[in-house]
Amino acid sequence: MVGSSSDRAETTDSPPAATVPTRPDVRGCLDRVYDPELDRSIVELEYIDEIEIDAGEVTVEFTLPTAWCSPAFAWMMATDARDEIHSLPATESVTIRLQDHMHGEEITDGVNNRESFESVFPDADDGVSDVRAMLDDKARFARQYDAVQACLDAGLTPEQIVDLRRGDIDVADEGAIVSVRGIHVVVDREPLTDYLEKASASGLVTDQEDRLFLTIDGDPIPVDSFEILHKRTRLAGVNMGGQGAVCDALNQSRRAKLDKD
Amino acid sequence: MYNANGEDIFVIDGHVHLWDAREENITHRGGEQFIQCFYDYHNGFTPEDKQWDMDEYRYYGPERMAEDLFGNAAVDMAIFQPSYLSDFYDEGFNTIDQNAEIAEKYPERFINNGRFDPRDGEEGMRDLERQKEEYDIQAVKLYTAEWNGDSKGWRMDSDESFEFLQKCVDLGIETINAHKGPTIRPLNKDAFDVSDMDLAASSFPELDFVANHVGMPRLDDFCWIATQEPNVYGGIAVAAPMVTNRPEKFGEIMGELLYWLGEDKIMFGSDYALWNPDWLVEEVMNAEMTAQQKKEYGVELDIDTMKKVMGENAAELYDIDIEEKKKQFQDDAITEKFGLADHYGAPDAAAD
Repeated sequence: MVGSSSDRAETTDSPPAATVPTRPDVRGCLDRVYDPELDRSIVELEYIDEIEIDAGEVTVEFTLPTAWCSPAFAWMMATDARDEIHSLPATESVTIRLQDHMHGEEITDGVNNRESFESVFPDADDGVSDVRAMLDDKARFARQYDAVQACLDAGLTPEQIVDLRRGDIDVADEGAIVSVRGIHVVVDREPLTDYLEKASASGLVTDQEDRLFLTIDGDPIPVDSFEILHKRTRLAGVNMGGQGAVCDALNQSRRAKLDKD
Repeated sequence: MYNANGEDIFVIDGHVHLWDAREENITHRGGEQFIQCFYDYHNGFTPEDKQWDMDEYRYYGPERMAEDLFGNAAVDMAIFQPSYLSDFYDEGFNTIDQNAEIAEKYPERFINNGRFDPRDGEEGMRDLERQKEEYDIQAVKLYTAEWNGDSKGWRMDSDESFEFLQKCVDLGIETINAHKGPTIRPLNKDAFDVSDMDLAASSFPELDFVANHVGMPRLDDFCWIATQEPNVYGGIAVAAPMVTNRPEKFGEIMGELLYWLGEDKIMFGSDYALWNPDWLVEEVMNAEMTAQQKKEYGVELDIDTMKKVMGENAAELYDIDIEEKKKQFQDDAITEKFGLADHYGAPDAAAD
């Protein structure tokens, strides 16, 4: 996985620091690349086989849990990895290789040649951006469960929660401060920051006046739907966690088999 | 039957296959990738000492199957869910005709489901009629992500599909199982979609629909649909074996299913030979939700719930009279073969 023996950057004479991307730089980039279906980093999920750094040229090889994993998901991870690493000032070129996948070559060539998903897979009904948007909505919705639960645990009522705006939250070291009609309530910080990260990226929760919590379609939550919606966010998280467990088990048994061969 | 603290539980394994992935039957590289992927699922969720080797996994044959289900596991009856994959396998992966090899030998123990693919058009219609005539099928199993020539999938709510569903109604085929779970080459977001079952189920209230694999990785969408549609059920194959190495996830998934669908609409399936009921039935029966989960969901995996999940719900759906079956099994061929007379309380069993 990460930390292979063929890191040439460590075996060649040290070039000036600013001209070559370092392994921690590249790893940091990959930490920010998520499996869009599981809403978890591809480093944490152990998809990375190899990171190779040769002067300014970076090559990353990765394997997914099955040869059948969605080409659209694979495409997103490969292009995100490419773009993240490319954004490092010292990177001259990036090559991403998807291994042992039924469309490994098409995806590898397409991503490195900067072609579009639609041109590589002309028979796909939906553009990759549609798929990404749907998965982003699900990830935001799933993260909402813990954030809303934290608000409930802090004593806020459903009426107060559905009415919260982005500007009512102030994230501080000791916790998130939620203002409700001039009263400050301290809420567990991590669930709220996790949620805000995804909600802000969605573009739905950016302005101070934007509602903080939303339906999966991005609408305000009617208070009489609060309870069932809260249960649906829980379900979305259970689905993601359950699928994560499936992918994890597949990844482990696949790697055990590939190592044996 | 499974004995839970003195109480007998009639077990209907709602999801089994008799497949053939021997190299000589594979005609497309997808066939090899498919069985390899299955094997990863098998190893990923099977205790190490119960894992098969690849050769026996490719083909295990009817006798091994009978022994695994009825000799070594507490399974009383099993339901075939055929997967054709004719573009990958010369004779098919497990067709109704392949499954018939054992289903016809022990007809009292198996329910042999049929299938249709609306892309087969008129020929498909004739084959559905043939399946009804030859095997008197009560149900079909659909695989919307299956390849068929240039097409890489189809939807249950298409006009062509509705013609076939109407044909099922006309022929007296009452239950529609659909693979709603991991897919082959899920190129489009629709390949994972479970929403096509929604329109099909509301358009054909006289049919019952079972989502195999409870829609995973779209458990959330599936539960929501099943909450709206009274004729939608869930089969827990794939979720079930999580009980061994991810017991907490299993508890959560069962909690969600019981919360949204209720205990009458969930059915056990091993997906044999993906997983073997010889260990899986016991593991599922021994499963418990954590105190936290019981509190969160307000449900429990108690004996009455498990009786329904493990057999009674499938019996209801397939018109199986469990008490009648127990009598029949006192001296059927399987009971003779595996010495189960005592198990079914045969009057003279004690003398054997």
